[in-house]
Amino acid sequence: MAFQILLNFIIAFLWMFISGSFTASTFIIGWLIGMLLIIMTRRFFPGHLYIRRLWAVIKLTLLFFKELVMANIQVFMLVIKPKLGIRPAIFAYPTKLTNDWEITLLSSLITLTPGTIVMNVSEDKKTLYVHALDVDDVDDAVVSIRDSFEKAIMEVSRP
Amino acid sequence: MKNSDVIIQTTTKVVFFMIFLFSIHIFFAGHYTPGGGFVGGLLTASAIVLLLLAFDIQTVRKALPFNYTVIIAIGLLLALGTASASILFDVPFFTHAYDDFRLPLFGLTSLHSAMMFDLGVYLVVVGATMTIILSIGSDD
Repeated sequence: MAFQILLNFIIAFLWMFISGSFTASTFIIGWLIGMLLIIMTRRFFPGHLYIRRLWAVIKLTLLFFKELVMANIQVFMLVIKPKLGIRPAIFAYPTKLTNDWEITLLSSLITLTPGTIVMNVSEDKKTLYVHALDVDDVDDAVVSIRDSFEKAIMEVSRP
Repeated sequence: MKNSDVIIQTTTKVVFFMIFLFSIHIFFAGHYTPGGGFVGGLLTASAIVLLLLAFDIQTVRKALPFNYTVIIAIGLLLALGTASASILFDVPFFTHAYDDFRLPLFGLTSLHSAMMFDLGVYLVVVGATMTIILSIGSDD
């Protein structure tokens, strides 16, 4: 994975030396040629292609922007309601993620989408305590986080 | 209930390098644009303070084993040495010299002896700030 990116970088560098022009555009052309070569010789590398993980990162970013817009509209609807019929709740969210950066990313994504805030991480890093603005059913909230963000992060870290 | 500092620690590991890089940039930008030794020193100290907030004092002491009192002394010596080096060339105290050099990688660069004075200021600011914070923070 990291080895493939490094190899792609070296191929792009070599391409710059071969063509004898040291500009960004030559580097990008070399990068694309290297990508083609790595796709051709993918049987020799252990693990998946790095392009798959890159695609997962792009998907996660797009998902985050979508969720951000949707959740902001939801909170806006709550604010302009004449009656404040919200049901705030703090619930424990058992996470399947193990690495520090994954937990940090998940917490940041949950916090940045309005309506939910990560308040605490338990000491064994297995439970996130989430404060939600308007919850009908706790299980629904857990499932919605699990299906959207956690799944996308899982795809990035373990393709 | 015990809680873990996983979020702030992971974020600190990334943000520390950004603040440190920015402090170096601000230090070198001081001649033509806003910045300089004082602001750069404060930024570096703030990066170390962020480490102190996220981790504990023993860990940071182990990771950055500097004696900040010695750093203050080195900074003062640098500033004084830069100021008094002009006496050797038979010009008044604190006269700076500068010239344009062709450096490899950097190209045409104007080197000014005021930068050494600025480095002295930088070291004194980092040392003084960290000495104050560590002597207030540690309870021994």
